[in-house]
Amino acid sequence: MSVICRKLCSSILSEHFGQIVQRVAEDLFKHDARPLELICCTTHLPLTKIKEALCVLIKHGFVVYGQTERGLEYSLIHQNILLILRYPKYMFFVKTMCGDESEMILEEVLMSGYITASEVITKTYKKIEQSPSGLQPSVPVLKEKFELLVKNQFLTRSLCTDTVEEKTNEKPDFTLPDFNLAAVIKKIEGDNNSDPGDSKIYWKVNFDRLIQDLRDQIIVSAISRRLDENAGELMRQLLFLMYLRTASWAHTSNPIPLTEIKEAVKKINYPLLAHHLDQYLHLIEEDSSQFLKRVGESGGHFCVNMKEAFEQLAWATLENIVTERFGSKAARIFRLVRDKKYIEQEQIQQLAMIPAKEAKHLTYTLLQENYLQIQEIKKSGVSAAPIKTFFLFHIDLNLVVYMEVQHCYQALYNIMQRREYEISSNKRMIDKQLRMQTLTTNLKEHGATEEQLAEIADLMTPSEKQQLEKVQNTIKKLGITELQIDDTLFLLTMYLRYH
Amino acid sequence: METEAGTSKEQNAINTDTNPFEIIEQKILALAQARPKGITDKDLIIEMPELPVKERAQIINKLLSQGHFDLFKQSGSLLYRLKDPSKAKIAKGADNEEKIVYSIIEEAGNKGIWIRDIRFKSNLMPTQLSKILKSLEIKKFIKAVKSVAASKKKVYMLYNLEPDTSVTGGAWYQDQDFEAEFVDVLNQQCYRFLEKKREQMNSCRGGPIMARNVTFASSKEVWKFISDLGISKVKLSVEDLEMILNTLVYDGKVERTLSSDGSILYRAIEPLLDSPGLIKSTCGVCPVRKHCYDIGDVTPTKCQYITEWLE
Repeated sequence: MSVICRKLCSSILSEHFGQIVQRVAEDLFKHDARPLELICCTTHLPLTKIKEALCVLIKHGFVVYGQTERGLEYSLIHQNILLILRYPKYMFFVKTMCGDESEMILEEVLMSGYITASEVITKTYKKIEQSPSGLQPSVPVLKEKFELLVKNQFLTRSLCTDTVEEKTNEKPDFTLPDFNLAAVIKKIEGDNNSDPGDSKIYWKVNFDRLIQDLRDQIIVSAISRRLDENAGELMRQLLFLMYLRTASWAHTSNPIPLTEIKEAVKKINYPLLAHHLDQYLHLIEEDSSQFLKRVGESGGHFCVNMKEAFEQLAWATLENIVTERFGSKAARIFRLVRDKKYIEQEQIQQLAMIPAKEAKHLTYTLLQENYLQIQEIKKSGVSAAPIKTFFLFHIDLNLVVYMEVQHCYQALYNIMQRREYEISSNKRMIDKQLRMQTLTTNLKEHGATEEQLAEIADLMTPSEKQQLEKVQNTIKKLGITELQIDDTLFLLTMYLRYH
Repeated sequence: METEAGTSKEQNAINTDTNPFEIIEQKILALAQARPKGITDKDLIIEMPELPVKERAQIINKLLSQGHFDLFKQSGSLLYRLKDPSKAKIAKGADNEEKIVYSIIEEAGNKGIWIRDIRFKSNLMPTQLSKILKSLEIKKFIKAVKSVAASKKKVYMLYNLEPDTSVTGGAWYQDQDFEAEFVDVLNQQCYRFLEKKREQMNSCRGGPIMARNVTFASSKEVWKFISDLGISKVKLSVEDLEMILNTLVYDGKVERTLSSDGSILYRAIEPLLDSPGLIKSTCGVCPVRKHCYDIGDVTPTKCQYITEWLE
C-alpha cells in the first residue's frame, strides 16, 4: 500500500469518525497487525479511548481481529475504508432500485456498521417522522422494505460475534428475521421494555453485492453508448442470467442458452429488442469490446466475458486520460503502441502521421510519464554500438492502471484536503448561518412576527451572504468531483480485481 | 589463328582492314542485343563454332572490362547480359574510380546511398570522393536527393531514377517537410465522411445489423469522396488514404474491419466510455502533481489550479 493511499484512508477516517479513530487506524497502518497494548504504547492514547476507537473500526468492518501466538491482534483492511467514498453511490443505487424508505434504512445500517432489524426500523421511523419530506412513516411498510433489501441481498447477516472462537459459517446468510412487529411499534411509542425478539441478529450492508451492481451498471452503460439502448437492455438481461449460473467474480460466465435469453427478453417491454434479438446478440458479440462470446458447437450459448470487458474499459479509460493530459496526438501514439504491441520510434511517426519532431516529443513525454515502456533489443554477436540496438516501445497495462489508481488516490486526497480547508477557513460564517437557521426555526415555532424574522435575516450582511453562497458552491463542487474521481477509481480497481 | 578466324568469315566481313577481333565483338554484341535475357558460353559456341575457346575468352574479357556486359551466374554456367545503353555511357570518358563510385550508387537503386556509405564501400579518400561525386553530378549521371528521414542527410542515386517514397516521404512531404496540416485536414474530412455515414444509421429501418452495415465505407469510397472534394493538390492513391484512415483508427474514432471480399471497411464508432471522472478534476491533469505534498510550495490548500477551477 502506498503512502498516498494511507494518507487518503487516514483523512477519510478523520472526517467521518474523528481524530482518535484516525490515530488508532494510522498506528495499525504503520505497524500492520498488532495487539492492543502495543497500540496503546505508540499512540499514547488512554486505553478506553483506543478500545472505543477499535470498537468503531470493527463495527464498520475496517478492522478485523484474530488470535495469534502473540495474543489477540488487530489488523486493518484499508480497502473497506475506501468504500466510504462510495456510500452516496450505494444509497442512490438502492433508492432507484427499492425506493426512498429503503435508502433511509440503508443509510442507517451504513451509519451504524451493523444493527438489528428492529432497531433500524425504529430509527428510520423516527427519522422519517422528523424529516420534512412528506413521507408517512409506517412500521409494516418499513419492514417490507427491509425485507426487500434482504431479498435483493443488499443487506446480509453480520456474523460478528462477541467471542473469538465462535466463527460460524462464512457463507453470507440472508435468512429473514422473525421479529415482533407489535413490539417494535411499542418501542417507537416510547416503551423501552418491549423486546422485538431479534436482539442477537445483526445486519450489515452486503458491499460485495453493491459493488457487483455498480460494476454491471458500467457494463450496461458502455454497451448502450457503443450500440444503443436496446443492446444495453439486452446486456442487462444477460447479466441477470449470468448471476443465476455463475459464481460471483468469475472471469467468464457459464454458457447461457439462447432459449433462456429469448424468454428473459420476452418478459421485458422492449419490442424492438425482442424482434431483433439475434441481430443484437450478433452485434454485441462482434463488437470490438468483446463483452460477449459465442460458445459451443451449435452456437446457441453465450458467455459474458467480464475479464475481457474490464480490460477494454480500462484501456478506454487510460486512452481518455492520455488524450486529456497530453492531447489527441499523444493518444494516437498510445493507441498505436497498444495496437502494435512492440514498435520502434521510426514506425510510430510513420504510422501515426505526425511530424518527426512532434512524434518524438510526445513519445518521450509518454515514456517519461510511464505510460509507455521501452525495451532494448541488441543484435547478438555485434559490438554494443547504439546503432545496433533496437528500442521498442510497449505498454504494460497493469503498471499503467496501478499508476492511475495512485493518481486517483492523490486526486481524492487533494480534493478532500481542499474541501476541509475551505470549510475550516470559513468556519465562522458557516456557524453563524447555522445559528441563524436554528434561531429562525425556533422563533417561527413560537409564532414570531415577520419583522422579527427579517431582523434576524439582516444579521448577515449582503457581502457575507454572497461569500457564504460562494463557499457553499465550492464545497458542493468539490464533493461532486470527489464522486467523479471515485468513478474512475472504481473502474480501475475492478480491472485490477479481474487481472 | 587470327587469320583463320578472319578468313572463315570472309564473306561476312564488311571491312577487311578492321581488326578481326572487332568484327567478332560486333557480332557478339548484336547477338546479346537480340537476346535481352543474356547469352551463355553455349550460345556463343553454337553461333560461332569456329571461334577458339581462348580467343572467345579474350574477347569476352575485353567487352566486360569496357563495361558492355554484366556477368551473371545462372545454374552453374556464366551468363553475359548486355548493359543498359544509358548506363554504358559512363564507360566513356570516365576513370576507374568514377566507375566504381557509379556502380556503388547504381546498386543502391532508387533508395539512394549516403556519402559515408559510399566512402566505406569504395575505400576512397573523402576529398577525392567528393570530387568524383561532383564530376558525376555535373555530367548528370547521378543526383543528390535530400532525405526526409534526416534533413541534413543527402543521398545519391542515378540521375534518371524517381526517388523512393521512403526518401521523399510520399504524398505527405513537400521539400522534406512533413505536411502536418494537410494530413490533419484529410484526417478531419475522412472522419466527417464516416460520421455522415453513421448518421444515416438513424433513418435505417431494416434492423440493427442492417443499420450497422450502412455505416461501413470501404477505403475506395472514402478515396472517391476526398478526390471529389478537390482539397489535395497532389494525386493521392487509395493506399495513401488508407494511411489517413488508419490514423483515425488510432484516434479511436473509427473501427477497421475486413469484409468478406477482402477489402478493408471503415466505420465511425462511439467510444466505450465518457471521459473519466479523474480528469474532470484539476488534479487529474495537474502538471505539477509530482511536487504536490502537504507542505511545501505546492499543496492542495493553496493550489492555484484548484482556485482557478473553483472560480
